[in-house]
Amino acid sequence: MSDIVVIGGGIVGVSIAHELAKRGENVTLFEKRYIGSGSTFRCATGIRQQFGDEANIQVMKRSVELWKKYSEEYEFPFDQTGYLFLLYSEEEVEDFKKNIALQNKFGVPTRLITPEEAKEIAPLINIDEVIAASWNPTDGKADPFFAVTAFARKAKEYGAKIYEYTEVKDILVEKGEIKGVKTNRGFFKADIVVNAANAWAPLINIMAGIPIDIPIRPYKHQSIITQPIERGSIKPMVISFRHHDAYITQTHHGGVIGGIGLEYGPTYDLTPTYEYLKEVTKTLPQIVPALKNLRILRMWAGYYAKTPDSNPAIGRIEEIDQLYIAAGFSGHGFMMSPAVGEMIAELIIKGRTHLPIWWYDPYRFERGELREKAIQMG
Amino acid sequence: MRPLDIYEKDPSKQVTIYFEGTPLIAYEGEKISVALLANGIRWISISSEGRKRGAFAFGPALVKINGIKNKDARKTKVKDGMRIERQTYLEYQESVEVDKSKPPEKYVIDVAIVGGGIAGIGATLELQDYLTVALIEEKGYLGGDMRRKSVPVKKFDNKEAKEVVKDLVTKLNKNVKVFKGTTLLGIYRDGNLFLLSAAKGERLVEIYAKKVILATGAVDNFMLFENNEMPGVFRRDFALELINVWGVKPGNKVAVVGRKPEDIVPELERVGIEYIIVKNPKRVEGEESVERIIDIEGNVYEVDAVIMSDGRRPDMNPITLVGGKIIFKNGAYVPVKNDKNEIIEGVYVAGSVASLKSHYANYLEGRLVARYILNELGVGVSIQELKEEFEKINKEIEEPLPQIDLSKLNLEETYICGCDVTLKSVVDVVNGGITNLQIVKRLTHLAMGFCQGRYCLFNGAVIVSKLSGIDMDKIDLPTARPPLKPVTMKVIGNE
Repeated sequence: MSDIVVIGGGIVGVSIAHELAKRGENVTLFEKRYIGSGSTFRCATGIRQQFGDEANIQVMKRSVELWKKYSEEYEFPFDQTGYLFLLYSEEEVEDFKKNIALQNKFGVPTRLITPEEAKEIAPLINIDEVIAASWNPTDGKADPFFAVTAFARKAKEYGAKIYEYTEVKDILVEKGEIKGVKTNRGFFKADIVVNAANAWAPLINIMAGIPIDIPIRPYKHQSIITQPIERGSIKPMVISFRHHDAYITQTHHGGVIGGIGLEYGPTYDLTPTYEYLKEVTKTLPQIVPALKNLRILRMWAGYYAKTPDSNPAIGRIEEIDQLYIAAGFSGHGFMMSPAVGEMIAELIIKGRTHLPIWWYDPYRFERGELREKAIQMG
Repeated sequence: MRPLDIYEKDPSKQVTIYFEGTPLIAYEGEKISVALLANGIRWISISSEGRKRGAFAFGPALVKINGIKNKDARKTKVKDGMRIERQTYLEYQESVEVDKSKPPEKYVIDVAIVGGGIAGIGATLELQDYLTVALIEEKGYLGGDMRRKSVPVKKFDNKEAKEVVKDLVTKLNKNVKVFKGTTLLGIYRDGNLFLLSAAKGERLVEIYAKKVILATGAVDNFMLFENNEMPGVFRRDFALELINVWGVKPGNKVAVVGRKPEDIVPELERVGIEYIIVKNPKRVEGEESVERIIDIEGNVYEVDAVIMSDGRRPDMNPITLVGGKIIFKNGAYVPVKNDKNEIIEGVYVAGSVASLKSHYANYLEGRLVARYILNELGVGVSIQELKEEFEKINKEIEEPLPQIDLSKLNLEETYICGCDVTLKSVVDVVNGGITNLQIVKRLTHLAMGFCQGRYCLFNGAVIVSKLSGIDMDKIDLPTARPPLKPVTMKVIGNE
């Protein structure tokens, strides 16, 4: 049996290892810090199917099925409390009507609702200038850390080996064939390598010496969390493109988590910025006025590993036998991860997958075939 | 006099407040938490899980004031006719008050000193003849731990600690801008300067400075025993502040627990509060507030207050906030500093945040750091003599690790964090094989609440170390993020 190595212990790497181990494969995962220590637990919990293109809608529909299944089986919180996009102009409404029609075609039950209906779903929002909203009750949120630890635990039960604090330093390739990986804790034989390092994926690509350019760059994004308040105060993920691409929801623990799209980069720096703190505290209360009265407990930063079309690179690198990549999730990798795990596992084992993986073709950048930009938000 | 007043307060300042509808005597200038305690009221808030809570252990002290929810009883001063009610931590105010906020106050100065304790005052006195200084202090008074004590201090001519502070404060000159009641929120680099963001009440203050001294002090160790967060349990620093700043006693019959009873006992004796030292506390009990304490041997003591006096450790949050590194030394996490007490370029530490030592050593260290800065900024001052004096008296205090006997405690009733995190939840996660404190934090919510781990992370590290055998210096401590202390969005977001 082949020795499969997954590089990266974030939600994507762990999901891939979990799916492979579940199918009986011999898989080892290397993580340079600890499981979930990268962008995974810095992410804002959201899981949505409201995308603007066929591939992402189908993949996210499958992903939500898996979120539901695994959260029940492995007992971690996943709440289908919906995503609510607040719309403020006729142009926005027209755009969303198109998205909704496409989502409905693939069985995602999104609908356009009135501001009053939106207010019933999330009573704390200010609807003064809202003219409509896009609402899908089957979207939701999950606790990234509980999710990633649950998947890691199950992966181990299925036989996967997970090495934390083990950094991959080099990938040994001879005549186009992978021989193994060199880490700070020794050399490991490998026949197959999966690059799931997201923000650090370009470094792994260099180690493997891949002959194509996959432009993934790290950008600093930030979030804040408030003191916990009565649970159920803000059930859905509330989104407003009008307000700096703002998102607001309440975590399972009770804190209100939120952010805006103010972006810095490309950079590997994660220092929280004052400019962001001032902007976010000015902006979010315009959507939920009661936030003015809430104390912020913490702010932090994480990476969006961005590609030029905000779609990830998922697939096989043909010139190196056998190297796979699943990286560059551009701010929505957490929600996609269960489906990505399935896609990569099927691709490795069967050479094909039932999901439209071609959309995420790592070669598209070289060919100049950028996709329609995926909705990047939360 | 009110039931727990130590002396008569100025009658011209008397006002009436109402707690749960009952009229009570209070005095202008008092905090709500202090006025309620003086009237014998200890239970003032309800935790997220429905536990009764006071204002002097850990966790927030949230109350409803004149119908407005989610106000801080530790920071809000009483006003005549004020109506105060209990609330749970999860209640919040939905309606938004009419915006009376003003744009941030902005200042440009040479050196910003965070912390108005003896080290901060010492540094300020050295700098003020040559440079402009901002002295930022969260409490409404300067002097820090010394202002909270009446014991004589040998090295300061045997004067009472709080009198030493009063004398030194009168020497501050017009080059010093003192910010009392001002909470540091963050420190950011801004070109060649540092930008310090702080909240003074509801007003945002922004101070630009060339150099920063963190004289932010140490925090009291929080002890682990059953019901350790119930009303009537006092941290040593809160108890001292009540006695020496507000003239209010924690209780009429007090149990002192912890390895350093000598840090509080002389103060209790001075004001005539009856006390008993209880070694090995197992549990406190009471209906609304502490009524008795039971030790490991099963002895029962009837008391109305328990004071934890278990030593202190440097507060690492301001250090990691600015990117300083920490190491484990003498039983505590301390900042890594160069020979000028610099932790990152331009940011210095002085006083008990740097290491635990005597008040006088902290004072000298503050002065010494100020002289390093003066030389850096081109004001030539001599260092040698002061340095020698400091080195002669500087004896770092070794803090023994807490001995926590998990087998003797009901872990479900022992709280490790004020935000309803039980010792059991932490022990379960660690026993489940997770020994990384970063992960423990995320799975249990330890250190993710109002205090950002200031009072619970150390105990968390001790538990991990104890159960896993990992050395304290190998434990990966989480980094503090802004805001350093909780602040409402309206304070920052209003321009």
